[in-house]
Amino acid sequence: MTGQDNLGRKSTKILEKIRENLEKLNEKIEIMIELQRKGKREMQPIPETPLDVMTLLSMPDHLRKTAMTVCRLGRATAEEVAQQTHRARAVESAYLNQLVVMGYLKKEREGRKAYFYIDKESRE
Amino acid sequence: MGKIIAVHSYKGGTGKTLLSVNLAAALARKGRNVCLFDLDFRAPSLSALLKVKAEYWLNDYLNGTCEIDKVLINLTGRLSNSGKFFVGLANPTTEAIREMSAKDRRWEMHALGRLLSLRNSLLNNGFDYLIFDTSPGLQYSSINAIVTADLVLVASTFDKSDIEGTKRMLRELYDLFEKKTGIIINKVLYDESLRNTEDVRKSMEQTYQSPILGAIPCFCDVSKAKGTIIFVEEKRSHPFTKILNKIAEKIDEMKVN
Repeated sequence: MTGQDNLGRKSTKILEKIRENLEKLNEKIEIMIELQRKGKREMQPIPETPLDVMTLLSMPDHLRKTAMTVCRLGRATAEEVAQQTHRARAVESAYLNQLVVMGYLKKEREGRKAYFYIDKESRE
Repeated sequence: MGKIIAVHSYKGGTGKTLLSVNLAAALARKGRNVCLFDLDFRAPSLSALLKVKAEYWLNDYLNGTCEIDKVLINLTGRLSNSGKFFVGLANPTTEAIREMSAKDRRWEMHALGRLLSLRNSLLNNGFDYLIFDTSPGLQYSSINAIVTADLVLVASTFDKSDIEGTKRMLRELYDLFEKKTGIIINKVLYDESLRNTEDVRKSMEQTYQSPILGAIPCFCDVSKAKGTIIFVEEKRSHPFTKILNKIAEKIDEMKVN
């Protein structure tokens, strides 16, 4: 293996790490934008409130659509949710993260993909 | 992919169970594979109406203590020349009703998950229709059924308070969940049914701003049967059966997914 190969592999790893961090940063910025747009009150976590139909009914329309899609899919990425709702991936990503902040959804990373789901402890 | 239908109404006594049973039977008689569920846990009636007892109830499935195949009862033999006709029953004992009405929000959320998973377990495995007979109004179990459904059939009468309540539910419940709805006007009184049915349909469509799938006159024969027979099977040439068959046809042609 040549020194150039090693250098190439290292560069790729570094670039991947940068991309991953940029994606995380992007999600955080999306949440901050949403916080500013919708106001902080709407996004306060509501502990002990499950994502049941009454909660869904009381949600603002844009979040209800996202939450219902996750209910239907069980576990999904922002891309998968966007395919169902016909809204942009970035928009769904912001709404999904908002639902995580509110305590209704959980988020799990698998490699580059972030999966959103309803807390299993409350579902089972 | 098949359809999940929730039969719901604002008030009790609008004929949801009568419509659910006969619509399920009408669809099965068209060759569709149908599964009818009693989701009216406050006043279960399918067990008595169809004269069947279950070893496992829908209550058990929603509690997570058994899978859906244990709950389903095959009643295909009750209909002639039909597709599959299965039922899932709610436990009618007082103890079970009391227990179901004391469930908390977390349990209801879990129950919603169990209902949603029926799409994979049944619709992807040979059933064309799942029909949910629900409790009237804003009961947890009914809203769970509505969220799960592709189409909500709303049974309404000419009762003033029923019309007002149904209008509210269309705007504040079904619309919020982006559900496709079809209204069935039941128990249309004699003088109302004398009018051109197209006029009745148009006037109610204007009132509800939603499609009317059918208007059913108040037939004494249906009342006399006391819900003890599957009407569309036993009275095949009766006008009630003809209207139900037409509604089944419209539902079959609908695109909902």
